Amino acid sequence: MLKKPMKHLLTVLAMTTAMVSAPTVATAAEKNASNIEQGKELAFSRSKGNCLACHAIPGGTIPGNIGPALIAMKLRFPEKSDLFDKIWGKPEKTVPYSMMPQFGHSGVLTDAEINKIVDFLYEL
Amino acid sequence: MKKTLLVALTVGATATANMVMAADMDPEKSRQQFVDYFKAKSPSIEFNDYGNGTYNYDADKMLQWQAAEEFPPYLDFIDAGEALWEKDKAVYENCFGEDVTKVRVMYPRFNEKTQQVETLEGQINQCRTDAKLKPFKWKKGDIANLSGYLAYQARGQKINVKIESEAAKKAFLAGQEYFVKPRGQFGLSCAECHVYNAGRRARGNILGPALGHTSHVPMYRAKWKALGTLHRRYEGCDKNMRVVPAKVQGETYKNLEFFQAYMSNGIEINGPGYRE
Ligand code: HEC
Ligand code: HEC
Repeated sequence: MLKKPMKHLLTVLAMTTAMVSAPTVATAAEKNASNIEQGKELAFSRSKGNCLACHAIPGGTIPGNIGPALIAMKLRFPEKSDLFDKIWGKPEKTVPYSMMPQFGHSGVLTDAEINKIVDFLYEL
Repeated sequence: MKKTLLVALTVGATATANMVMAADMDPEKSRQQFVDYFKAKSPSIEFNDYGNGTYNYDADKMLQWQAAEEFPPYLDFIDAGEALWEKDKAVYENCFGEDVTKVRVMYPRFNEKTQQVETLEGQINQCRTDAKLKPFKWKKGDIANLSGYLAYQARGQKINVKIESEAAKKAFLAGQEYFVKPRGQFGLSCAECHVYNAGRRARGNILGPALGHTSHVPMYRAKWKALGTLHRRYEGCDKNMRVVPAKVQGETYKNLEFFQAYMSNGIEINGPGYRE
């Protein structure tokens, strides 16, 4: 994994070059790749999502098993927005007595951060 | 309807225990259901083995733990506790009686005169200040060593907490409420980790059963490299839940200890216990 400042620099470079040549297409692709990487960091970080405390996630070490493994997310959540709502903690998506935190509702994660985690999980 | 722990758990936090009259509540029924719950969850674990906490759920860790208990790293601390007892023996005997094997098992208890739960550590310091001695610092050091010595002397006796008045029931109920009520940013409760999800892993840690939580206190933790009190552990779990912890040896944790110890009635005292 690239170190943060380096990655940031590369992203900025990529975006500025993209801006010059083919603004829309390249920017979107590049942005998505960096969202996935940032989403992974957020999901694995103990101070942010800390999803590994409860879920096995491909690429993560020493996961907990309080919640189900987060795999085949596209199949589980054909609508990307449903996955967002689940993590955000929309009432209709919460399971009674579940330990799954309501990350958006409780303000632990911002909507932008949850979107990045969704981008990452959607690749699994 | 009798309000029991499991009813409280299933009704959830919206119907808080506050709304329930203490008169409607039967602690003994709560305890029975609690024991039955763990029996149904893990039929192969013997009742008394709940004093061994999280190690019941992992055979490898159980072996490591048994090895650790054979040459326990806490013996020096127990010796230090014995020295503390001997030093102010007359004072302690005046408060707790002459038989050191009979002290641990008296606490926690509900004092009908003060209408408060008394804990062993709380009474050690009460006893000291009444005799014009300096109180120990809470959580670790002398208080944990003296408490550890008294627990060690009491090994093999069963936890036997009594609830004999409406006021004692209320204290139990307050402890139960603290135990089941979701709190903090993550909306977690003690019960979620130590009842529903006992046996599962949170990262590398296996969540231990709440049944037997008070059998082996104070505990020696490899992480602490020393003995620490039950309330120190409460504080740690509250912090992990991202909750502002209650005051150590304050009313909230005393009620919580009273509730937890009552729920563990009948389990043998095996303190101090070795934990990771
Ligand atoms: C404290 C435990 C805990 C943490 C931390 C946690 N989860 Fe969960 N999660 C659960 C539990 C338990 C379930 C199953 C019950 C439910 O759906 O609420 C669950 C369910 C889910 C589901 C639904 C899975 C399915 O197939 O229905 C998704 C998606 C999910 N979690 C994503 C996440 C993400 C992303 C994070 C971190 C940002 C996270 N979880 C952190 C406990 C947790
Ligand atoms: C997010 C999960 C979680 C929550 C919530 C939680 N704990 Fe814990 N607790 C743990 C873990 C993990 C351990 C260490 C493994 C074990 O012994 O259970 C532990 C250990 C303990 C121990 C020591 C057990 C022993 O055998 O020595 C006690 C007592 C305890 N917790 C009480 C509580 C109380 C009371 C609450 C609520 C105020 C609480 N916990 C909330 C995860 C949690």
